[in-house]
Amino acid sequence: MIERYLAQMSTYAGSIDGLILLVAVLVGFWFFAAEGMLFWLVWKFRERPGQKSQYLTGTEHHIKRWITWPHALVLVCDVFIVIGSIRVWNEVKQTLPEPDSTIRIIGQQWAWTFQHPGPDNELDTPDDIFTVDALHIEVEKVYHFKLESRDVLHSFSVPVFRIKQDALPGRSITGWFEATMTGEHDIQCAEICGIGHGVMAARIFIEDAGQHAAWVAANSNSTTP
Amino acid sequence: MMARTQNVRLSAALLLGVAVAACNPTPPTPGLALGKELFETCAPCHGDMGTGDVEIDAPAIAGLPQWYIEAQLRGFQAGMRGMHANDLPALRMRPMAMTLNRDGDIPSVAEYVAGLPATFPESTLHGNAGAGAERYAAVCVACHGPDGRGNELLWAPPIVQLNDWYLVQELQNFREGARGADPADIWGQQMRINTFALDDQAMADVIAYVQTLR
Repeated sequence: MIERYLAQMSTYAGSIDGLILLVAVLVGFWFFAAEGMLFWLVWKFRERPGQKSQYLTGTEHHIKRWITWPHALVLVCDVFIVIGSIRVWNEVKQTLPEPDSTIRIIGQQWAWTFQHPGPDNELDTPDDIFTVDALHIEVEKVYHFKLESRDVLHSFSVPVFRIKQDALPGRSITGWFEATMTGEHDIQCAEICGIGHGVMAARIFIEDAGQHAAWVAANSNSTTP
Repeated sequence: MMARTQNVRLSAALLLGVAVAACNPTPPTPGLALGKELFETCAPCHGDMGTGDVEIDAPAIAGLPQWYIEAQLRGFQAGMRGMHANDLPALRMRPMAMTLNRDGDIPSVAEYVAGLPATFPESTLHGNAGAGAERYAAVCVACHGPDGRGNELLWAPPIVQLNDWYLVQELQNFREGARGADPADIWGQQMRINTFALDDQAMADVIAYVQTLR
């Protein structure tokens, strides 16, 4: 359903959308049920001539059940949300599949720097490729990323991947993704990081094997760290 | 009934007019007033009077020529500056330049900055001005002039009013390709070639000499 409005382009995007949908449906149901009940009661017990209001302590069983029963049902729904959250958290954060390649992502006010491995597919070697605001990856390959910040808090967000990970100065945070389709999409900063936060945007280029090999070959010696 | 229908139609027309006006506001008139308004985006780093802030690597820009400021802002927008991984101050500056996206924005803010009183920041480096004079005469004087006031015909800006730390930083950027490496940046490429003749000490010496030209 969500993919009708924003493409799912990572292996775990569907799982995250499913969780969001689960939360939206359960919370949405209780929202409308509670609001419906509120307005129904307001209408049912509206002011009438000759009718006096009563003071209710709320301790009587037949009155309390209007709270306790929905409360219990909400808790049952919470169990489903917690189970779903743990499953998705485990898939996205606790599981770290073997990488086909590793990149470094560095946030700074107000740009993203990407360090790609060169033809040797090893990071931190002389043939690494550095780019600003342009990340190039190959489709259907598992990438580990090492996320860093040079100054303040940032958050690396790729909406089509459904990934959003904070970057903290002084720490290197490891994560992963695997793109499922080729294309060119937005990268955002999702953490207020100063006056230029709103324009701290970049692009991700998801290429097939041939395109990516050609890009690596063309750029492996063209930039310096 | 007829009057009520007319009122509804009139209200709908007014609402439509307001909505259209909100979606398509009249572009502001370029000029100093617009430049002053736009400069509010620059002031957090460059200061209210464009005097810069060394703590965040923001140089003094007050009083620089309008043509030079315009050229640099357009250079940032085109990716000639602010696209190198190690040029952190320029990485900060580029997105800010990208916000000047309406006709007249860049000339307006450049005119405003050019009209601010130029400052001559204190020296912070210690080079050998005597040795720098020889270097300056050999490498820099042809474009930046004997008085360091620049030459618009050669796209050489005045350098006497710039921070010495900023000048060294930019000379290093030119030499390392963080600036002046884009094929479209013709004048930057020319500047870059000249920095190949300067090692770090020579840069410090030249800048020390430039400080004496004030």
